[in-house]
Amino acid sequence: MIAKFARQKPGRENSNAAIAGQLARSSSPRRRFWRGVWVALKRRPSRIAGVAIVALFIFMAIAGAWFYPDRLPYDVNEVYAPISWEHPLSTDNQGVDVLALVVTGTRGVLLVAAAAGLVTMLVGTAAGLYAGYRRGAADSVLMRIADFVLTIPGFPLLIVLTTAINVGTWWKMALVLGLIGWGGLARAVRSQTLSLRERGFIEAARGLGLPTRHIVVKELLPNVAPYIATNLLIAVTAYIYAQVGLYFLGVLPVDTSNWGVMLNNAVFLSGALISPDALPYLLAPLGAILLLTLGVVLIVDALEEIFNPRLRES
Amino acid sequence: MKSLLWRLAGHLTRGLAMIWAVTTFTFFLIRLMPGDPVQVQYERLIALGMSPEQAESGTAMTYGFVPHGPVWQQYLDYIVGLAHLDLGVSVDSQGIPVADRVFGAMPWTVLLVLSGILVSFLIGVGLGVVAALKRGNVVGHSLSIAGSLLHGVPPFVIGILLTALFTRQWRWFPSGGIYDADLVAPGFYADFMADVAYHTILPASAFALASYGGWLLAMRSSVASVLGDDFLLAAELRGLTRWMRFRYLARNAILPLFTVLAISFGLVFGGAIFIERIFNYPGLGMLLFASIGARDFSMMSGSFLLITAAVIIANILADLLYSVIDPRVRRQT
Repeated sequence: MIAKFARQKPGRENSNAAIAGQLARSSSPRRRFWRGVWVALKRRPSRIAGVAIVALFIFMAIAGAWFYPDRLPYDVNEVYAPISWEHPLSTDNQGVDVLALVVTGTRGVLLVAAAAGLVTMLVGTAAGLYAGYRRGAADSVLMRIADFVLTIPGFPLLIVLTTAINVGTWWKMALVLGLIGWGGLARAVRSQTLSLRERGFIEAARGLGLPTRHIVVKELLPNVAPYIATNLLIAVTAYIYAQVGLYFLGVLPVDTSNWGVMLNNAVFLSGALISPDALPYLLAPLGAILLLTLGVVLIVDALEEIFNPRLRES
Repeated sequence: MKSLLWRLAGHLTRGLAMIWAVTTFTFFLIRLMPGDPVQVQYERLIALGMSPEQAESGTAMTYGFVPHGPVWQQYLDYIVGLAHLDLGVSVDSQGIPVADRVFGAMPWTVLLVLSGILVSFLIGVGLGVVAALKRGNVVGHSLSIAGSLLHGVPPFVIGILLTALFTRQWRWFPSGGIYDADLVAPGFYADFMADVAYHTILPASAFALASYGGWLLAMRSSVASVLGDDFLLAAELRGLTRWMRFRYLARNAILPLFTVLAISFGLVFGGAIFIERIFNYPGLGMLLFASIGARDFSMMSGSFLLITAAVIIANILADLLYSVIDPRVRRQT
């Protein structure tokens, strides 16, 4: 089913521009694409679980803060309270509900990671497409820069940069993260573009005298999109962990509560490692990270099959 | 042979250009730091009662350049200093050259990371072969999901879990440091080495756990791509034994992994920051972290430079290594 869709694609682009435009506008290939997604998801129930997990985290990021007051209530008599309906994940060293901390800590981190992902996607895709399609001097310059960004170890650079630049506001943090991480995506998009530009349908489009803008946006981009999607999902996860890591090390000034601050508090400040009562406080953010990773891994597994049907094993 | 030399020259120039770019970056980073630490240092020395000349040379000792005069002059001084491996003097612990601290911390990181990488490489490659051969069924699928999961989880999660379990819950291992100063004195004898090993086991296994997933995934896809090759079918038709065919397969599948291995030797200097912090292990990552906490900018740029230079050098070595072990690459150029 998906294989048929993939085979059909070059044929579509071989026809002249008017028909190609019409076909692209009609919903049929798109509906077929979503049916393909559904088939791939159904093949392994674990993939549906993955989508559900990631959806849960996105929901927590958007709506989580609405369930709780701006300043979470604390109760010094309820430090490391036993697990109960009132405190399903116990309380922290000041008597704040741990579940509330985990839920409200999602938004800031996910917001920055999503914005950084957007930066990475724009810069990486643009650089990769341009370098791969134009070739020549621009290609070698762009790829030298990409290599440079890729080679410098990301996390040490991030630590050094965050001390040099005041990354207090969320968009600055997103910009720094996004600009550190675009190299891999640019490389993937470039190599894909390089092999696509030699294919028949691109040559046909060039032969028809279609403008470069059309070739890049309408012919190349849809074929590169799978690589962007997979790379982006992994990049956004990496950005989430980079931020949590920075807060965990205590390099960033603490402004809001998030998983990294919780971990820093639990491991280095409150001595939660020693007291068994405090175990839920320590394990809750770790569990959140593990769960999110699991969700992303399962979705990537599904994405690979959707976009690359040859990977499917009987 | 000549082409190999040309390759080497090309790689070296590219590597040097990169190291130069990074040093330029760190120079301007220090200069543009909020509060201008170089100027602050100069003024502090003046306030201590030094003459402007003394203060200038004191600051130059610390950062490798004089805070006044044209920027290009400062930049030139800095670069010339670096070319002599002069990384300046620590701001925080006065009088100690950064190079001493940085190269003193390096062996510990190398010990930790090298043992971690080798263990994870062996386990990851072994399991990767299994995951590729059994890829149709539950074993293969759960192996690769577990590999992806461990590959995706940030290293500090594994580090925290291991400390919580093995140093607090069950006190099997010491919670930090590299040796117990009360029990042994540094030196080359069995007791000291045993104590160092005892302190290194847990951080090294945290490192190995955090990185073996990557090896598993890489080996799995490499084996899967070699499995379809004609020479394996030919070997089967010639009636070679299973073991022989497996040797053919493994030798070809493991080739691309050696490059990744070489690259990872460089990357790990920076990658061990979390593990070193959690286990209080006095390596390079810990040095970088501590210098940031203490606002010790000369130490910070020094350790950052070494971490980056290690990556670049490892990249060059990886490229060369690949052309040595895989003749196909050599012939292409």
